[in-house]
Amino acid sequence: MKGRIQVVMCRLCSTGGGVLDVDALLRIASDAPNVGAAVVVDRLCDKATVASLAAQAKDKEVDRVLLLTCPKNEVSPFVYQTFVKKARINEFLIDSIDLNNEVVLPHRDDAQGAQAKAEGRLLSSISRMARLQPLERKTDEMRTKNVVVIGAGISGLEAAGQAAQRGLHTVILEKTGREVKAPGVVMPESKVVSMKGEAGNYVLTIEAGQKRENLECAAIVVATGGDWSDARGPLADKCRDAKPLYRLRQAVDEDRVPTGTVVIVDTPDPKGTRTKVQDYAWDEALDCAMDIKRKSPSTEVYLVFQEMRVSGMREIAYKEAADLAVRFIRYDRKNPPRLTAKDSGRLELTDLAQGEAVALPFDVLAYASIAANPDNVAIANALRIPLSPDGGVRRGSMQRGPVATPRPGIFVCGSAMFPKSESAARAEGRAAGIMAAQYAGAGKTEYGGSVAETDAEKCSACLTCVRTCPYEAPFIGAAGKAEIRLQMCQGCGMCVGICPSKAIDLHHYTDEQIAAETTTYLRGDF
Amino acid sequence: MADRRPKVVGFCCERHAMDSSIFSARSGRTYDTGLRIIRVPCSGRVDGMHILNALEEGADAVFVLGCLEKNCYYDTGSVEGRKRVEYVKSMLSEVGLEPERVEMFNVSSSMAWKFPEIVSRMTEVARRLGPIGSGGGDGR
Repeated sequence: MKGRIQVVMCRLCSTGGGVLDVDALLRIASDAPNVGAAVVVDRLCDKATVASLAAQAKDKEVDRVLLLTCPKNEVSPFVYQTFVKKARINEFLIDSIDLNNEVVLPHRDDAQGAQAKAEGRLLSSISRMARLQPLERKTDEMRTKNVVVIGAGISGLEAAGQAAQRGLHTVILEKTGREVKAPGVVMPESKVVSMKGEAGNYVLTIEAGQKRENLECAAIVVATGGDWSDARGPLADKCRDAKPLYRLRQAVDEDRVPTGTVVIVDTPDPKGTRTKVQDYAWDEALDCAMDIKRKSPSTEVYLVFQEMRVSGMREIAYKEAADLAVRFIRYDRKNPPRLTAKDSGRLELTDLAQGEAVALPFDVLAYASIAANPDNVAIANALRIPLSPDGGVRRGSMQRGPVATPRPGIFVCGSAMFPKSESAARAEGRAAGIMAAQYAGAGKTEYGGSVAETDAEKCSACLTCVRTCPYEAPFIGAAGKAEIRLQMCQGCGMCVGICPSKAIDLHHYTDEQIAAETTTYLRGDF
Repeated sequence: MADRRPKVVGFCCERHAMDSSIFSARSGRTYDTGLRIIRVPCSGRVDGMHILNALEEGADAVFVLGCLEKNCYYDTGSVEGRKRVEYVKSMLSEVGLEPERVEMFNVSSSMAWKFPEIVSRMTEVARRLGPIGSGGGDGR
């Protein structure tokens, strides 16, 4: 039997507390083509219920399951596993639709419309479901479980320590010759030249001293760091005595606390003319402001910033700072603060919160300036990961996690991304170390499933896919036609949409499947 | 048909776009029932064909919703998606259809308020333009 669907409705999750007429939905499902069985259960995520559903699936010889439940990533994994194990259903032929969030909640004041839409949604999902093909998941063994950490700074050492604690062999590449105490191997005076291989089986070419060698690894942590700089910008140029934040900090630490009014600006270039992205030093700016007030309460301290985002629990310190009478003024980059005249000692700005113009006379002007590590460019080129406009290593989408780059198995932490405080760098180093350890510790990489596939007949070897894919999955194979490296493919389908010869298809999101779903969904009149 | 609601198709990426729709539903926002969400892995997967097919099958307006361009899960996906949408728009004006019927938007998963805004904007467009080929609003 092919293409027989079992439709399972979970009363708890998909009926919206009686808003939808379940019996009507059930009737529609049973009458739909390709449906082998349609049932309503009170609560799907119940072991006995799932077991009986799996038994029914086996009995009715269905080969795919459509669940009307919560969002796919919120369904308990055991539900899917039970169907896979007990009813031998391909894991890619189980899908769930989320009527509650797609239909019930957004249309709660239109019960009739919601019912019609739910029916349309159900039918369109059934028509797509019937067209799916079973897919396979493949695994590759990792050749090694090495974790390579680039940079032996605060975050790098923390990352290496965390990975080593989890039983992985770590290799730290440090560009200087300084002595580093760390677990695993430390390679002084070394740098990354290039990288080959796919996720989990990377081969780095490194230059250690005068020697070039290859280094196999499963995961890489980029921890190149950054440092305080004296770099000035247009604002700082207009004030001869403006000093970088770290120098103010040094003075405060040596009890040379300034008197009068201190203004700390988040960047020497608020307009963003020279540095595209401002330099971030929120934690340091806040700490320094608070220390000044503690040591010299009569000193007025203003923090002038576009955004204040100190790391993690340090946010509690906002209250403390406010109690110490540190003043916060937020500005808009479109209307940045400026000096009335060169060395005038008056900063003019518009307070974003009040919308009012403020003229701030000051005695000391400090600005936070942290330049990105210049080595980032070479390293990002070698690892083929993106850089942000200010020269930091760019992390991937936040949904991948705050320390992940778009390339699987490569993580980034600390000031390599953008300048940050010691504690934040340490926390990120810990996170990156744990993520890398988990990635490498798995010992194998999984791939396949909903990935792209090329059709050599149709391919005209135009290289469009090769150029479009951010993951280097398509390549021109021995036959002179495009092929997909399954290990690299993440299943986004960008190459499919762009292929001028329509020679690529993405499993589970083929043109036919998407068209069938759209057409059916549009048929209903709601 | 008297009771015909505008039909809007939204191709939503599985990442930030779907998340924003779920978040908007969970935070108590409502929108027009005429929206049909078609889930795609990434807005870069959307092909001009899909949009045209939707218009042909009765959609009055189509939007593609992807991640923010600098926070796209697939890095350049939503940039690619936008190119595709722009191409379709230029094609529509060439054949004499209103290019406003097709739009591309970007959201982040935390932008609960934006999803209903996008839907109502596209529904408004669909109401104003009426069914394809009608040469004006259907008076609703």
